[in-house]
Amino acid sequence: MQTDHKWTFLLEGASLPDQALIGGKAWSLARMRVLGLPVPPAFVITTRACLAYLQKQTLPDGLQAEIDAGIAWLEQQTGRRFGADASPLLLSVRSGAAISMPGMMDTVLNLGIDETTEKALARESGDAAFARDTHRRFYQLYSQIVLKATPPELSQDASPAQWRERVDAVAAQSMPTNIKEQLLAAICAVFDSWNTRRARRYRKHNHIADDLGTAVTIQAMVYGNMDARSGTGVLFSRNPLTGEPVAYGEYLPRAQGEDVVSGKRTPQPLAAMQTSEPEAHAQLLDTAALLERENGDVQDIEFTLQQGQLYLLQSRSAKRAPAAAVRIAVDMQQAGQLSEREALLRVTASQARSLLRPRLAAGAAEPAKQLARGQGACPGVASGVVVTDPDEAEQQAKNGQPVILARATTSPEDVHGMLAAAAVITEQGGTTSHAAVVSRALGRPCVVGCGADSVTRLAGQSVTVDGDSGAIYAGALKMVIPDEREEPRLQTLLDLAEKYSPLKVFRPDAAPQAEVLDMDKSRVRSTEQPENLATLLAGQTAAKGGAIASDEGVAAALDAGLSFIICEPVLPPQLAAIHAQDKSREH
Amino acid sequence: MAKFMDKKNLVLHGLAIKKHGTPAQVAALTDLDEAEVQALLKQASENGRAAESNGKYMLTPTAQMALKGEYSKVYGGLRADEKFTHAYESFERINLELKDLITRWQTLDVGGEQISNDHSNPEHDAKIIDALGELHERAEPILDALAAKLPRLSLYKAHLLAALEKAEDGDRQWVSDAKCASYHTVWFELHEDLLRITGQQRQE
Repeated sequence: MQTDHKWTFLLEGASLPDQALIGGKAWSLARMRVLGLPVPPAFVITTRACLAYLQKQTLPDGLQAEIDAGIAWLEQQTGRRFGADASPLLLSVRSGAAISMPGMMDTVLNLGIDETTEKALARESGDAAFARDTHRRFYQLYSQIVLKATPPELSQDASPAQWRERVDAVAAQSMPTNIKEQLLAAICAVFDSWNTRRARRYRKHNHIADDLGTAVTIQAMVYGNMDARSGTGVLFSRNPLTGEPVAYGEYLPRAQGEDVVSGKRTPQPLAAMQTSEPEAHAQLLDTAALLERENGDVQDIEFTLQQGQLYLLQSRSAKRAPAAAVRIAVDMQQAGQLSEREALLRVTASQARSLLRPRLAAGAAEPAKQLARGQGACPGVASGVVVTDPDEAEQQAKNGQPVILARATTSPEDVHGMLAAAAVITEQGGTTSHAAVVSRALGRPCVVGCGADSVTRLAGQSVTVDGDSGAIYAGALKMVIPDEREEPRLQTLLDLAEKYSPLKVFRPDAAPQAEVLDMDKSRVRSTEQPENLATLLAGQTAAKGGAIASDEGVAAALDAGLSFIICEPVLPPQLAAIHAQDKSREH
Repeated sequence: MAKFMDKKNLVLHGLAIKKHGTPAQVAALTDLDEAEVQALLKQASENGRAAESNGKYMLTPTAQMALKGEYSKVYGGLRADEKFTHAYESFERINLELKDLITRWQTLDVGGEQISNDHSNPEHDAKIIDALGELHERAEPILDALAAKLPRLSLYKAHLLAALEKAEDGDRQWVSDAKCASYHTVWFELHEDLLRITGQQRQE
């Protein structure tokens, strides 16, 4: 295309423009296009246009024409038409600065839907309810994101005119009726979000220049519920739970992304897609391998199949369980995909800690009597005597007695008792209840929602709480503490960490002779406070006990220039030291 | 216009929310001078309303009872105020979103399974903090409507914003840590305060 592109950039896949011009999100789309991967067609309004707009508070000359040309290009690429009464083109509008920051506008989806295109979409998908819901969600999202007003949930049974009335009332302004005007308003809202209070404050605090601006990505929507050869799914290039180097994922035929997220329908394993859509399946696996190689990390890929055609919506580094983090780091290092140091940086100290946490001994739970059961809200296992009063819990814990705090529900009044307890159990509430939230923040095993009068009646009994399964057993069950030296992959990481850790960490039986500060015997209260740690460690050679093995303790030990610390296990503090060093290099 | 609590009761109310509180903590919650709070707490422990241990105070059962009576006396007007109760209901609605968001902050969906968020994925964390800021902006008009009727409540807005900004600047503990005045800690105290004002029971 030879038209003058002063303000916009088409993601044609021919070249990779500067990230400062198109923003981070569009840049990763552009990169996928350059790699020859199928992403829904998109064009970008550049940061240059944003700055011109912000200067004059009006769209710069020529931008309107370029947006029209961009839409025409999307129409040509997709074979669909914006606002048409058959095969309508709907768009997503998203912000994207070169550096991500809080306060930028969220994505508006399904722009281009109105009464005409809703009917067309209903005909095309054979699903009038879906078309209506798409229309409704557009109003909801537009109101919240562009107009910054949250209407109460709009009803599926109401008419678009009624939705509009409600949105206008809440927003105290009228929403444009025309889809082209809606598009322009959404674009301006993205530009304006560069100057939201949150974004400005963040830039100031982090010394980011104010004249970078944000780009706007306008992308064709694709739908996974058009026909039997449509669907949506997620693919991981390796198993994110175990780390096994085998693609893992799920696929839901005739569905949109929300159907997967909402859990209304149960997806199929990826293998089922191999049978129904072998070509797309094979293409997907090749793509996953390519992106993993290119990005040097396990990928989490969202995709949609629209009428048999595969589209990648997003690819990013996958979240992973601790065991997977260890296996992936070791496997990729051994395969030469990561350096030794990079492999260590792929496993956090807290991931290592959670793998080395005490757990029930094999076979310990089976013969035990289960006293109550609820939802596991924070994983981990602990034994102790049940106490129902938080003050008593604090008192008994001070006397060295491990206690389990049992409450009907918890409130801020109970936090000191939760802090003192080895585990927390409640009768009411689910995984978002106060008890669940606070236990997770404190790292206490927690089981919630065991039922009326189920746990407070256990007062005085010795029990074991399993925060993973949600079971509460009678008595103190046998527990084991995993040994970092007995698991081959952890041993591999240990050998590497030994080499790269900027802080020496010794087990108690292997520590050299030296004067060692015992933090457990320190008179300074609350050694977790960073400023206390610094004071305590100043001028010392070595330390043990207290919070020394925590991330904060390790950071303070590095700052104080200690020769070594003593603790067990040694891998978590070593990893903490390596990560801390890496972070300080960044700055 | 709503009636206000006298300082003596306000200090006890602050202590009811903090439970085990230092004078400094109660002062921060009630916007009273710390020395004044210290004196009032000392006075309260002398006449059996509070008990002190290690510099921290807690209410006695008598004081708990007396405070409940005080609430209906002082806040009876607010409980009948349509604008206040409407704002309170809006708060309860957005509270559900907040709880959900904090849960997403603490747990990671990994391949369909929920695991503890070990903060190994900065992208996930940044997304949640951004969503928290967005929620805060939607909560602001609600907090303003509440404070318009009971000015002392405006303190919470300031504390929430302070926690949010620390989280935005990369200090993760300010999202939901129980040991500092994190966003969740302050939000929950505000909720507790509102429950006491309105005489409602907590719904889990």
